[in-house]
Amino acid sequence: MPDGGLTFSPDGQTAMLTMKNVPIVDQPKWPSLDAIASPAFLDFNLVFKAANDPAQYEDASRWYRFTGFKASAQLEATVRVPSIGFEFKTDALETSKADFAVMGEEVNGKYYG
Amino acid sequence: MHEFTIRRRRLLKSGGAAALISLAPRQMLSNDIAGCAAQIQGGVPANGGPCPYPIPWLDKNGNHNQIAGPNFELSHIFHFKGKLARCSGFTGMGRDNEGNRLAWGTGTTDFSYMAGEYWAAREAQQGVYAHI
Repeated sequence: MPDGGLTFSPDGQTAMLTMKNVPIVDQPKWPSLDAIASPAFLDFNLVFKAANDPAQYEDASRWYRFTGFKASAQLEATVRVPSIGFEFKTDALETSKADFAVMGEEVNGKYYG
Repeated sequence: MHEFTIRRRRLLKSGGAAALISLAPRQMLSNDIAGCAAQIQGGVPANGGPCPYPIPWLDKNGNHNQIAGPNFELSHIFHFKGKLARCSGFTGMGRDNEGNRLAWGTGTTDFSYMAGEYWAAREAQQGVYAHI
């Protein structure tokens, strides 16, 4: 990720992920075998805000533990598909919502214990 | 990330070689078959590379193939410790360049960040990654 792409509020309760001109693939008919893939570019701004509701997910058989808080997440983005002259811009950040969001810390693999 | 391209002729050649491998003495495999990893010189051990290890049960495209949610491995990197956030199931509205109002987002509209330490090439590495 580019420097400065991920920033946190001083209290660590809010995280902002911002990237521009991320190369992606536009493939509306995926996973159809004949799905046409076109180069596209994404600008986005994603904001996580932690709530006061703790969350811990752990599976010792798969060597991972996440410890943190349930959160809200909101996103605004612009996607461009130059080959077809298409651009789509979402409404303002505040108008979006996510069904699931968490933020915190994880240990897995050799760090699990 | 490295990008691999294999020309059709090379691919067919590899396929032919693969068919012969089952008949070949094992000693041949690392030295004589085009496309195998180069032999390590100087007697030093293989050290892998500094790229993160994927989660072992992800598919080869790095997908969990299920919607992120509670009691779910949220990381995309194995041997990782650090900050992580993940979200899924976005819904919202927007407008295209012809003025059409369109809904966006599905259950699999899934973003995350990972910032911290991971283990690769036999030492701790630092990195910040986004998944979109």
